[in-house]
Amino acid sequence: MPAENTVQPEPRLSLQSELDELARLWPWVEALAAEYAIPADTRFAIHLCLEEALSNIIRHGYGGQPNHSITVECAPAGRHRLVFTIEDQAPLFDPLASATAEETPAPSSIDQLRPGGQGIRLLRKFAGSLAYERLTGGNRLTIGFVFPR
Amino acid sequence: MEISTEEMDGGVTRVGLDGRMDIAGAAVVDLKMNLIAGSAKKLLIDLEKVSFLGSMGLRSIVLPARAVHSRGGKVVLFAPTEMVESVLKTSGIDSLLPIHHDLAAALAALQ
Repeated sequence: MPAENTVQPEPRLSLQSELDELARLWPWVEALAAEYAIPADTRFAIHLCLEEALSNIIRHGYGGQPNHSITVECAPAGRHRLVFTIEDQAPLFDPLASATAEETPAPSSIDQLRPGGQGIRLLRKFAGSLAYERLTGGNRLTIGFVFPR
Repeated sequence: MEISTEEMDGGVTRVGLDGRMDIAGAAVVDLKMNLIAGSAKKLLIDLEKVSFLGSMGLRSIVLPARAVHSRGGKVVLFAPTEMVESVLKTSGIDSLLPIHHDLAAALAALQ
């Protein structure tokens, strides 16, 4: 349940397609965490999944091109579940599809450690639920989190 | 995000990271981490005060660690919180960079 006597955080965050914009994610997630009394571990998972999903869209969906928009909307779904919906107008980009979602095998030597490429693996581990939808002229990724009271 | 270094007995360099290793935090520590990795032979990366770790933060650990390894050095990760350790394990990094919660064991692993 939302806490009383607090300013409600905006349910929607609009971002430009630049990695610097992701600095705005943290205060927004913190405000939501206060609003919905989200435990620290869930807050960590939300921040992690949103940062991974959004940086994927910026780098791969929009190919690093700035001045495109991405929106993140947060909605409660029951008392202990939050659903984040990320929408963009990028070309078809399904981060969960076979080509991109195939988990890279665990590295067997330090030289094989890929500095990137962990985003999808982390999303799958830390999200409660994940769904992708192709929109007319865009993409929608839905990420759900269940948290204990 | 803050970063500090300490030269310990036995030629161990201890790097203390403090804060959120998100995209912004990783950008803050990258240069110094790379400088340290350019000379350290036995590197202990102290994660005790790291409150968040994302894939860009992982990159800031992996690249310096790879540099130290390539010169025949050793790297251990020390005292991550439960969630940070979960990120490390999910990425498979723990199988190559050992995680220790006991300082004596961490230092022993570097010898």
